[in-house]
Amino acid sequence: METLVLNGLVNGLIVGGVYALIGLSLTLLYGVLRIVNFAHGEFVIGGSFLAYVLFNSLGIAPLLALPIAAVSFFAAGWLAYYLLIPRLARSDDPENMSFLMMYGLSIALSAVMLLLFEADSRSIDYAFSPISMKVGPIYVSTARLVAFGVTIVISLALSWFLYRTLPGKALRATIMNREAIQIVGVDVEQLSAFAFALATGLAGVTGVLIALVFPAFNAFSGAEYSIIGFIVVVLGGLGNPLGALLAGIIYGLAEQLATVFLPQALAQIVGFAILVGTILVRPTGILGWRAQR
Amino acid sequence: MEPERVSAAAGGERPVLELRAVDVAYHGDIRILQGLSMAVRPGCITGVIGPNGAGKSTALRALYGLLKPVAGDVLIDGEVVTGMKPWRFIERGIALVPQSRSLFNELSVEDNLRLACWSFRRDKARVAEALERAYAQFPMLKERRNHAAGAMSGGQQRFLELGRALALQPRALLLDEPTAMIAPKLAAEIYEFIHGLPARGITVLLVDQNVRQCVRIADHVYVLELGRNKVDGSVGDFTKDADLRSLIAEWVDYRIDA
Repeated sequence: METLVLNGLVNGLIVGGVYALIGLSLTLLYGVLRIVNFAHGEFVIGGSFLAYVLFNSLGIAPLLALPIAAVSFFAAGWLAYYLLIPRLARSDDPENMSFLMMYGLSIALSAVMLLLFEADSRSIDYAFSPISMKVGPIYVSTARLVAFGVTIVISLALSWFLYRTLPGKALRATIMNREAIQIVGVDVEQLSAFAFALATGLAGVTGVLIALVFPAFNAFSGAEYSIIGFIVVVLGGLGNPLGALLAGIIYGLAEQLATVFLPQALAQIVGFAILVGTILVRPTGILGWRAQR
Repeated sequence: MEPERVSAAAGGERPVLELRAVDVAYHGDIRILQGLSMAVRPGCITGVIGPNGAGKSTALRALYGLLKPVAGDVLIDGEVVTGMKPWRFIERGIALVPQSRSLFNELSVEDNLRLACWSFRRDKARVAEALERAYAQFPMLKERRNHAAGAMSGGQQRFLELGRALALQPRALLLDEPTAMIAPKLAAEIYEFIHGLPARGITVLLVDQNVRQCVRIADHVYVLELGRNKVDGSVGDFTKDADLRSLIAEWVDYRIDA
């Protein structure tokens, strides 16, 4: 039993790291752009397929796929911003319209991935050596440990960027007061395009990590990650980057420990119980006392 | 009712800022402003007063690009700039302190000031100069430079907003109800401060609910009613003209003494 719990804790931290990155991207997007990005899960799975293609066709290892995914997804996000978002501004209710637009985009993207890769689940046949490592009394796959290390590096880098640099503070300032950032002379459209590109680049990287952490993915896996992402965003407090990171870890731990203690069928509902519980008890999220809206 | 005296286009010097026959609508057809005109002349304090819901703040937001007029034009130095984005106004030397709080609460006082230097953020010397200017203006800000802006009192926050706007050396400052929710003693201080701005070369547009103070320090006053020009004139006109005085008394519930 102890080993099982320890297993749950370690794997909870690892998958939680992935959820944290998804939550961080979504909370940035919502905070800065007021966009509910329902297509984020498809962006993420797009990153997984990119790693798959790079490995299977070109023999590029997943670790090398990380920077490729980051750069190509960042660029694609920048383009997508100018293609999609200005259209929303013409609506009377851009926030709700963003939900519909991104939901449509999510369906379209998963259909495209279905066309390209068919409905079978895919995985990357890349093995680290050794294939697993001993962490205390338990064994964890090296791929998962590597993914966790990457997650920590990215989280630290992003936290440094958001909390220590002026452009990062400008992003957070936009979350705090979107009108004021325009009044002080910051081009909020440029900043929003950057935020969208950053979140999309992050999605690409997360996708590569998912290919390392989870056994398989397919064209329809995206929706699941979007939903987990939204639970994490709500749990961490809307527009709170640190909250999202923390909430991702908490969600991952809860999910993995639930599989230890609860029957398989019950474990599935833990995520939704967390969502409902947060909204009932602490609608501003775990770090909600800092929220100001 | 016809506007009784509108002199937006009149006057000697070219206005720094101007609204010409501006209409603003929400949700397509609810007109908040109708044919509103006003001019902000250089070196003066231009006041805008009127009852609640007259469209004073809306006029200011339309002027600063935060709302796009459905008709009419916004002009800077006589040049039509209708639809110009709000963040371009700083480059043109025009700063705004809106009625609602415009600070970034979780960021420090100094970061709030630094963000206002965004357009020249790589010029370290110029940023340092701008910070010093704000601190020299309000030394209290320097003492609290590392405090979260949102943790300060309402008055201190207002001073930070004013300091932040002035750090960029604007030639015109637009103020929306600068003393709303501020203790009376501090409010008097803020009005004295505003009164002294034209002498420092800063043109002021002051939108205010506080008719007494606004009329006391303004050179020219616009009275709005239901999104239109009701009347406007120099403060002299208002104090001399018995009709205007009674009009003000009627519309904004305040008696101007002759």
